[in-house]
Amino acid sequence: MNVNATEVRKTYDDVTALDGLSLSIPSGSTFGILGTNGAGKSTLFRLLVGHDRPDDGTLAVGGADVTAEGHRIREHVGYLPERVGFPPALTGREVLAFHATVRGLPADGRIDRAVDRVGLEPAAVDRAVGGYSNGMQRRLGLATVLLPDPAVLILDEPTAGLDPRGVDEFHRIVGRINDETDATVVFCSHALAEVERLCDRVAVLHDGAVHAVGTVDDIVAAADADPTPSEHGSRTGLRAAFHDVVTAAGAPPVEVSR
Amino acid sequence: MTDTSAAESTVEDDPLAQHAAQHAAHDGRSRGADRRRVVRHVRAVAATEYRLAVRGRWALALTGLFTLFGAMIVTFSGSTVGPDGTERIVASLTSLATYLVPLAALALGYDAIVGREAEGWLAVVFSLPIRRGEFVAGTYLGRLVVLAGATVLGFGFTGFLLVREFGVARWGAFVTFLVAAVAVGAAFLAIAVLLSTVAREKTHALGLSLLVWVWFVLVHDLLALGVIAAFTLPDTVLSVLVVANPASVFRVLVLSGLGTAAGGGFTAVLADTGLSAAILAAALLAWCVAPVVLAVRLVDRRRL
Repeated sequence: MNVNATEVRKTYDDVTALDGLSLSIPSGSTFGILGTNGAGKSTLFRLLVGHDRPDDGTLAVGGADVTAEGHRIREHVGYLPERVGFPPALTGREVLAFHATVRGLPADGRIDRAVDRVGLEPAAVDRAVGGYSNGMQRRLGLATVLLPDPAVLILDEPTAGLDPRGVDEFHRIVGRINDETDATVVFCSHALAEVERLCDRVAVLHDGAVHAVGTVDDIVAAADADPTPSEHGSRTGLRAAFHDVVTAAGAPPVEVSR
Repeated sequence: MTDTSAAESTVEDDPLAQHAAQHAAHDGRSRGADRRRVVRHVRAVAATEYRLAVRGRWALALTGLFTLFGAMIVTFSGSTVGPDGTERIVASLTSLATYLVPLAALALGYDAIVGREAEGWLAVVFSLPIRRGEFVAGTYLGRLVVLAGATVLGFGFTGFLLVREFGVARWGAFVTFLVAAVAVGAAFLAIAVLLSTVAREKTHALGLSLLVWVWFVLVHDLLALGVIAAFTLPDTVLSVLVVANPASVFRVLVLSGLGTAAGGGFTAVLADTGLSAAILAAALLAWCVAPVVLAVRLVDRRRL
């Protein structure tokens, strides 16, 4: 199921979050969206799942317009927000059962399978979520997203706050989804190495617009060739956009290179 | 490679429908299936809210509160300082419930939406194929079951003591009180859910709820009495003053059934307004429904 955004604009008060963003994500691909804070990644995701409406432009999942058919689209989309949370008094199993009930999924052992897929300990699943670590909450969130075997997975900063082991585990899970299903996986990250490892293609977002789409190798080559200066404060050009991403990811701060 | 101005792939015929077909065995697109889905969603949210309220000790605390205060009124009836006879005790219970039940309902409901948003749960739930209105309705109903259960059990114990003390001769007056107490709780819970949908933070919702309680329970009737004392008003205005306040509706509804001797002040003034029990009950029902309907509308505009 492909995902398309065409000339999407969104402003909040005086802040332009998305400024004519256009993007096409092929069906079955694992697609990374790179960008610094405020680039528009989370806004794009919120619009894609119908949490908000664009001021202008169109968003479509599987050819269906999100603004008109958000409710229908969410039956086939698993979305993990950046800040995932659950009522602390519920157990992990109750959270998953709630998701299964709302989605109308049959009781066919899929809760246990989802728990197994994300590596959550079976004993932990029957404990109250209030006692979970951040990593366990992220895993539970991922399990809720995987529960219906969605056609599209949208993951907003899925590794934020995870320790290296948790990040590794997440990479393994996405790898398995790639191998075992034909789901389209879209996730955003600050980390260049992460998207390079997991994604077929990457888009670089900067100031609410897409500055580049391609493989990481292609984008790095294009950034190196971009004549626009990348000094701090420059807000135009792929080189500047990519420079900001690389700097945010902790790589050397000046040159755009790997 | 780096040009993204145009879509790179064509729209497939209808892959959404293709994927939907995989789930067709347990999903339908007919109107009946849609209705069943709405019921399933509302029930799932309500059951979760009920479970959380019970685990959060809300059910126990409210039941204990109503039991304690109700029993105190009945117990004092055996002393020289307390009311005597079923009707007077019901009148005293009504005065108590006018303060206590709205406060309990507002406390139970003020964080219904804004609190779930603060937890991060709202963003998770709204990512599911559930309409926001269904979530609001389920949240209201789940908490309403807790409040209604606590009201019936808590004040029900008082009713048991009344029957033991005075027999079943005037049992009807107490039943009217009990049903009306549930209804006024439902009305204030609906208001609390509306406030929770409007507020951006839990503290704002709490503050708004306290203001609402002060207005409806303390200020409104005082102002109304002042207006009535200062001006000669037609019955219609008096009726509007009553139905504009669910706490007044509750009080007038119960006390008018006991006779004006049991009520005083505003209630005595209203004896001749022509507000029938049916109109009062309809007004209370409107107070239960209208805020929830408004909350359903407003939650659609809420930015997560």
